[in-house]
Amino acid sequence: MCECCSSQKDIYLPELATIRKKQKFTRLEMYYHVELDSGKELGHKAGQFVEVSIAGIGEAPISISSSPTQSGFELVVRNAGSVTNAIHKLDSGAKIGIRGPFGKGYPVDEMKGKNLVFICGGLGLAPQRSFINYVLDNRKDYGDVEILLGTKCFEDRFYVDELAKLAQRKDVSFTETLDIGCDQWKGNVGVVTTIIPKVKTDLSKAHVLVCGPPVMYKFVLMSLAEAKTPKQNIFVNLERRMKCGVGKCGHCQMNDQYVCQTGPVYRFSELGHVPEAI
Amino acid sequence: MSKPRVAIFDFACCEGCQLQIVNLEEEILDLIGVVDVVEWREAMSEQSQEYDIALIEGSITRPEDEERVREIRKRAKILVALGACATIGGVNKLKNNFDIEEVKKCVYGKDAQMPHLATAMTKSVDEVVPVDFKIQGCPIDRKEFTYVVRCLLMGKTPVIPDYPVCVECKAKENVCRWEYGEVCLGPIIRAGCGARCPSSHFRCFGCRGYTDNPNVDAAKEVMDKYGLTVEDLKQKMELFGSKQGHTI
Amino acid sequence: MRKLTKSEFQKFVTALIGSDQQVVGVQAKGDRFAFGPLERSEDLRLDYDVTLLPPKKYVLPQVETLMTYEVGGGYQSHMDSEKLILLGVHPYDLVAINQMDKLFGQDQYDAHYMARRKNITLIACDVVTPSKNVFASSMGTAVVTEGYDILITDIANGYVLDAATDKGRALMKLAPGGTEASPDDLAKRKAVQDKNKTQLNQHPLKCKPSYLPKLLERAYDHPIWEEKARTCYSCGSCNTTCPTCYCFDVQDDVNWDLATGKRWRAWDGCLLENFATVAGDHNFRKKRESRFRHRLYRKAKYVPEKIGGEIACVGCGRCITACIPDIANPVAIYNALLEDIGME
Repeated sequence: MCECCSSQKDIYLPELATIRKKQKFTRLEMYYHVELDSGKELGHKAGQFVEVSIAGIGEAPISISSSPTQSGFELVVRNAGSVTNAIHKLDSGAKIGIRGPFGKGYPVDEMKGKNLVFICGGLGLAPQRSFINYVLDNRKDYGDVEILLGTKCFEDRFYVDELAKLAQRKDVSFTETLDIGCDQWKGNVGVVTTIIPKVKTDLSKAHVLVCGPPVMYKFVLMSLAEAKTPKQNIFVNLERRMKCGVGKCGHCQMNDQYVCQTGPVYRFSELGHVPEAI
Repeated sequence: MSKPRVAIFDFACCEGCQLQIVNLEEEILDLIGVVDVVEWREAMSEQSQEYDIALIEGSITRPEDEERVREIRKRAKILVALGACATIGGVNKLKNNFDIEEVKKCVYGKDAQMPHLATAMTKSVDEVVPVDFKIQGCPIDRKEFTYVVRCLLMGKTPVIPDYPVCVECKAKENVCRWEYGEVCLGPIIRAGCGARCPSSHFRCFGCRGYTDNPNVDAAKEVMDKYGLTVEDLKQKMELFGSKQGHTI
Repeated sequence: MRKLTKSEFQKFVTALIGSDQQVVGVQAKGDRFAFGPLERSEDLRLDYDVTLLPPKKYVLPQVETLMTYEVGGGYQSHMDSEKLILLGVHPYDLVAINQMDKLFGQDQYDAHYMARRKNITLIACDVVTPSKNVFASSMGTAVVTEGYDILITDIANGYVLDAATDKGRALMKLAPGGTEASPDDLAKRKAVQDKNKTQLNQHPLKCKPSYLPKLLERAYDHPIWEEKARTCYSCGSCNTTCPTCYCFDVQDDVNWDLATGKRWRAWDGCLLENFATVAGDHNFRKKRESRFRHRLYRKAKYVPEKIGGEIACVGCGRCITACIPDIANPVAIYNALLEDIGME
């Protein structure tokens, strides 16, 4: 590298990290606990993502599912393409490349003292969990906490042990539903919007955090409109094709917003001029 | 780790795609350094019973060929269609535009009814068995072929363009063939060839097949703009586009 | 400012070619023009109308290695370090490069782009022959007063050269003879530029470019996007030929040892069908008209917001020439919108 740019870091160069723990979650999702080889913490905020790099295959944007309050970081990786398929083949001890953390994440300080309602659909639990666990680790800083989770079917549930513990907690309300019921499942059946009426917190005053597949937002946001949740109190976590992670390549852009820079978490009231968002 | 076993088969074709592999020159040494070629009629006499990757060249034109390709599918973990005949039926599909008996008579004359000359409608490989990957083109592009092979060895889905030839043609700084009044199929045909024909001052003939979502309606309207007719377009699409999904 | 006669200028170009830097200049390519490595000064064609591709291809190459790596191991940055003289850049293309400098330099600093850019000397030249679709006069990019290392103006009996930077002045030392430009030379130079200010305008825009962001604020749901995009091939020719498009894709390929490889970036285009498709095949910009509209909004609203209001369409007209169904002309769209929804 020439002298003039040696002071500037290469924003595309991944740093090495090691998989410390791996666990099969579902037929499509795998759990990883990762540590940077530098020994440093990732230093992420809840709601941010990293670009995971597999040399020879490519990079994929993956939400960080662990709270910044814990050491190392966790990723829940769905096998949806070449990179994630390659990640699934890796075991504990394997090296991966990491760039990031990227994006803005949740405004965790602004929400202190507020009642929080998390609405998660499927894999949307993973990014939300980074904030859920942050809140649980700083429980006294926040008001009521309610978590709604909708999953397609029984086999697709993940973080199952933690969900069981969540259900036991007295300081959190946790409601779960499956789109498709089955014999093993005694709980609610129906899409996540069907359990929104069960929320005990006053939705017109709560801060609501939504993350799920693209199709989910429209319906959840309709329910929240009915419940009179102010738009500035709704936060959506949007998936896009974050490729470079640094606001250059253009793939994640929705209207004037580069999701990798100004998202993936957005205050719904700020998306009024971003029709491509929802 | 043992090297992946690769077999190469040919059906109705000119074998030009296999020739492209033979013509890899030094790179063929790299290739056989990382795979174990277990069956390849064009280059060796051994035969094998199972393979990790089967490469199939040519289109399927006889009932017994359908049986053979089904057998190959059973024995292959990954099946790759190689070249226009295998991927889209190729030039061979021209005959599907005519009555099959007429075609036989025209080509074979009085021998048309000889049993070894039996022929049926042309099918691309994926009209008979599921195909995992397609390497398009007439003939295949050597660079793309080696890239796809490396991807398969890495367990990666190769990134094959789903955009039109125009992308590569413009990148090569060719003057658009339409500016010279030619009906170039570039805008509706899958890239990946490096715009080989337009770079040699020929229109695109469409050997790589249509893009996933070609704007064929636009193609018809554009003909008007250039003082041409849909018939002109149809005629140009016939060579490689005969009886394909998007053909008008 | 120096004046060189035509033969002195030719010697200057020969001296540049003989220097330790690679010289890339405009040359004939069939019946058109293109930037390419210049081997003989007589091949340089400063009288060109427009090049098939903008000189962007040397600033942001079509394919560029970002890094090399060992599979399962570490990554090593790859930077271009070759010194390059870009000779014959028209003002509109120069403006485009200057915009890209801002976009890659600001915020998250792109060391690959900037390292290469620092090694490039830009020798611009005023337009002699207007191309058939140029509208630089409408965009305020027909002439430039900054952003170049040297600016050349053809004044018929010679060239006036304005070296504006240290890099440019250093190169001027290779110029043989020449004289200080006389008031008469400077008047001729001004005449050329004044003419270009109004005459590079085959498609006159009916408003000031600075009004375009405001216009687009009210045009998002206008039927024109669907009308135009109906015949869009999604071929991305408007992207590929555009001097201000800079979106890119990143891909990996390994060597035959399957143990080492490289990661590279390559030009991409927002008009292409799967530009916004994520793993799992959800396409966030599936409709042709949405992609078509996105390009025009990037040019006149989104990118300007990032670079202090400058419109990211420089009026080169290449997209107009490249578009087979003839729907890409930005001026035709903006004017139609002006006509329909008016100025506010």
